[in-house]
Formats: sequence, structure tokens, C-alpha cells
Amino acid sequence: MENNKRAVVDRRGFLKLTGVGLSGFVLQPSDQAFASTLGEEEVAILYDASKCIGCRACEEACKECNNLPPEPVHPSDLSAITWNLIKQRKGVGQSEWPFFNHQCMHCTDAACVMVCTTGALYKDKKGFVAVDEDKCNGCGYCTQFCPFGVPDLKDVNLITGEAKVGKCIFCCQNQPQEGVGRVACVEACPTGALTLDWRESQLEVARDRIAQLKADGYSKAMLYGESEAGGLHRLSILLDEPSAYGLPVDPQGPITFSSVWQKIIQPLGEVALGATVLGVIAAFFVTRRNIRMEEVE
Amino acid sequence: MTVRLKGTERDVVTIRWIPKYTTMERLGHWLHTATFVPLAITGLILYVPLLQSLAQGQAGLFVRLVHRITALLFGLLPILYLIIEPRRFIMSIREFLFDKDDIGWVMNAFSYYLLGRHAAMPPQGRFNTGEKMNGLIMCVTWIVLGVTGLVMWFGKGIVPAGFFQWMVLIHDVAMIAAVCMFLVHLFLAVAHPLMWAGLVSMRFGVTSTAYAAEHHARWYYGPKRARQLYEEAKKKAAEASH
Repeated sequence: MENNKRAVVDRRGFLKLTGVGLSGFVLQPSDQAFASTLGEEEVAILYDASKCIGCRACEEACKECNNLPPEPVHPSDLSAITWNLIKQRKGVGQSEWPFFNHQCMHCTDAACVMVCTTGALYKDKKGFVAVDEDKCNGCGYCTQFCPFGVPDLKDVNLITGEAKVGKCIFCCQNQPQEGVGRVACVEACPTGALTLDWRESQLEVARDRIAQLKADGYSKAMLYGESEAGGLHRLSILLDEPSAYGLPVDPQGPITFSSVWQKIIQPLGEVALGATVLGVIAAFFVTRRNIRMEEVE
Repeated sequence: MTVRLKGTERDVVTIRWIPKYTTMERLGHWLHTATFVPLAITGLILYVPLLQSLAQGQAGLFVRLVHRITALLFGLLPILYLIIEPRRFIMSIREFLFDKDDIGWVMNAFSYYLLGRHAAMPPQGRFNTGEKMNGLIMCVTWIVLGVTGLVMWFGKGIVPAGFFQWMVLIHDVAMIAAVCMFLVHLFLAVAHPLMWAGLVSMRFGVTSTAYAAEHHARWYYGPKRARQLYEEAKKKAAEASH
């Protein structure tokens, strides 16, 4: 009987500790899941498709600056080792500015950051989405939730799941704490198609440029990225519909899905878990008071 | 077996044991538990922000590897059991089917299990309604977690991204349902005084006749006699309340 008593006390202690520990799950705010808002100190790359000659100097500079290995043939899409890529619009002649520079759009409401299980993907205070490769565990959720299909996995082992994410990190190794900073692709661009400045300034420049392009007969000229995905930090001046460049007209779908998952479903799950633990502990004490072991057959 | 409760002759009770689970059933149950627990822990590490530091880098890779290995075992065990004891497996599935007595059990479960009011409970088979509910959740989540997990493992870049996103979400929801049910099951098995024989039967394969008569009357007495006893008990309870 003494042994039984000791066992009961131990169990009670165990349940108390479990309850206290697990209730912390409910109280823990999942701050990484909340999207940031646009700040004044945010920078943006502005890409002007009407100035791009497709020379691929940006691609080369990106590879060199970020120590990315070369690919045997020119890739058709961005990948974990190609973070900057010039593609050509189909059905458009050389004289009609057919090129488009693809890279990470550095969304304000970045789905990749929301779904990252490790915090390896994070928003820098300047607005871009950086990567802490050491933290990445290769889960690859970011690759499936990005509306632009940008993040990719490298060194993948399909069986063990070993992998690392790779995507444009805004040359964050070269970014000073203050000021606009430098990015390799912009510095390499010989025509000024890529520029880097404060985001507000870039928006003004882009609006003026679009007005000019429209006056010059490019009636479909538009700015992509002012409000898409909460506002992009890679703005683009397009001469045609976004779909003509392979860009989603509305990238909001996966972002909304990520938000609902991370901000509603996951916390609700934690509440359900916490409530179950607390309910079980409460039931334990209620049954101990109401049911005597001696009366149990 | 005799048990001395308080040290006097009057408190000596005799327990008669009858077989309830086969060795394979018990082995299957415990191996399933041994894979479910690490699966739940490694899954929660990826789910709960408080545990994020354990999901990072090499530690995170290890967590994901453990999750995959145990997931394979967790998925294969019921199939393996079906191959070893197919007749018993089908019999158990039949016993897990719900009937109208389950409604009466649920109606009375709160006062019975929490307050210890021994009102007449509808007679139960080898598995009572609570065990059936646990079984249902475990079967459904086994299928859902397995399908969504395999898509998440091998479908990245193959299935459409929108489909993958739903798989991740459904995997999460199924995990929460399974873990919540597991916690209730753990409490009833380990800490609930009325359920003391549950753990004994899953450890040693036998249960006491008194426990079987009270909790699994339809299995112990057979359906006819159990129904008769239940009606008598209900009548007595009604008379006592008048």
C-alpha cells in the first residue's frame, strides 16, 4: 500500500509538471508567423524591363558574389544555386524588350517566412527576406508556399530529408546596418535596368518612368510589386501583363493560406493540446476526489 | 490471485483472471505506442514555436530523420499485424463498430467516469465506447497522417503546390486530433482508478472477471444475459430513485 501511495504522489507531481510545461505552448505567441508592415527604412531593387538588354551580367555577378557553383547548361528556372536569372518572353522580338530578370521578390507578407519551421528564413529590417542557412533543416515548406516558386532545396537526400534552402539573400553579407547598401546584380547592370534605393524613392521613380513609357506608346506599361504580397522589395516595371513574364497576377493565394495556417489553425491546435492536457489533469483530481480505489471492484 | 487491501481478513479479495488480448495484440499495441510517442514528439518540435530551437540545423535534421524512420514503422505495424493475425484483426475491427448502446454509454460516461456514480451503463463488448472512439480516431488519423505524410515526403515538386499546402495543413490537424486522443487514452489507462484493469490487460493479456462483468458485460456474459442484467439494473435504479 505504501508503494501505491508513493506511486500516486509521483504521478501527481508528474502530471503537474506536464501541465505547467505544456500550458506554455498555449501562452507562447508565434511571433514569427506575423507579417511585417512596410517601414520607412526599407530598400527595394527596381527592375526596368524597358532597359534590360539581357546581357546576363547580373547572373554572373550574383554567382560570383554568393559563391554559387555554375550550372552545366543555362537553367530554365531559378534554383537553389541560381538566384538571378534572365528569361525571355515568348513571341516577342529582340527589339521589343523581351527580357525579364527573375529573382526573389522579397515580399512584405512573405509566405516562406511564415511557414519556415526553424526561423532560417527571416525578414530583415530593411524589408528583404534573408536566410540563415545554419538554421535550415531542409523541410522545404518554403519551396511549396512561395507564390513565385523562388526558394529551392540543394544537396537533397530524398530518403533522410537532408537539404538546405537556397535563394536570393539580397547580398545581405554586404549590407551595412544603415544606408541603402549594395547588391551585386545592381552593381553589375550596365544599362541601369536594375537599381537599388529606398523603396519610397523607387516607387516615385517607377511611376514617372511608367508615365513616360505610356507616353512613348507602351500602353500596357505597369508597376508590379507596389501592393502585391503586401508590397515587394523587388519592384518591376513591365511592358505587358504580369502573366506574359510568368508572374502571378495575384500572388495572394498561398500567402492567405499560410496566414490562415500559421495564425489561426496552428494556435488553435496548440489551444486544443493545452486544453486537453489541462482537462486531463482536472479530471485526474476530480476522479481522485470522487472515486475511492477501495470501492472499485 | 488474492490481494490484501488493508491488512485485515475482511479486506482480502480474490481476483480471477480471464484472457483478453493475445500476445501479438499486446506486442502490436506497445510497438505502436513506441512509434507514436517519438512521432508525436518530433512532430510537435516542428509544430510548436516554443520548441523551434530544437528544429534548427543539424538537430532539426535529426528530428526529421527520427520522424521518418518511426513514421515508416508506425505505418507498417498495423499492416504487419493484419498479415500475422488476419482473423483476429477483422474480428477486432467488427468489435470496434458502433451501435446504439454507445449512445447510452456516452450519455452516462461523464457522471460515471468523473463522479464515480455507478448508474447502469449499457452493456459493452470487448471494447467499450471510449475505446472505440480512440480506435476510430487512431484508424482515421493513421490513414490521413500516412497519406499526407507520404505526399509531403515524396511529393515535393511533383504534386501541385496548392495540393501540397493542403496536405501539410491536414497533417497538422490530424496530428492534433491523434495527440489529444492519445493524452485522454493515456490518462484513462494510467491514472484513472476505474480503469485499473485496462493497463493490466494490455500488459499481461488478462483482465479480472469483476472488471469484465462491469465494463465489458456483453463480452463477458454474452449479449442476451448482459441485456437482461442491464434491464434489471435500470429497473432497480428507477425503484431506488422513487
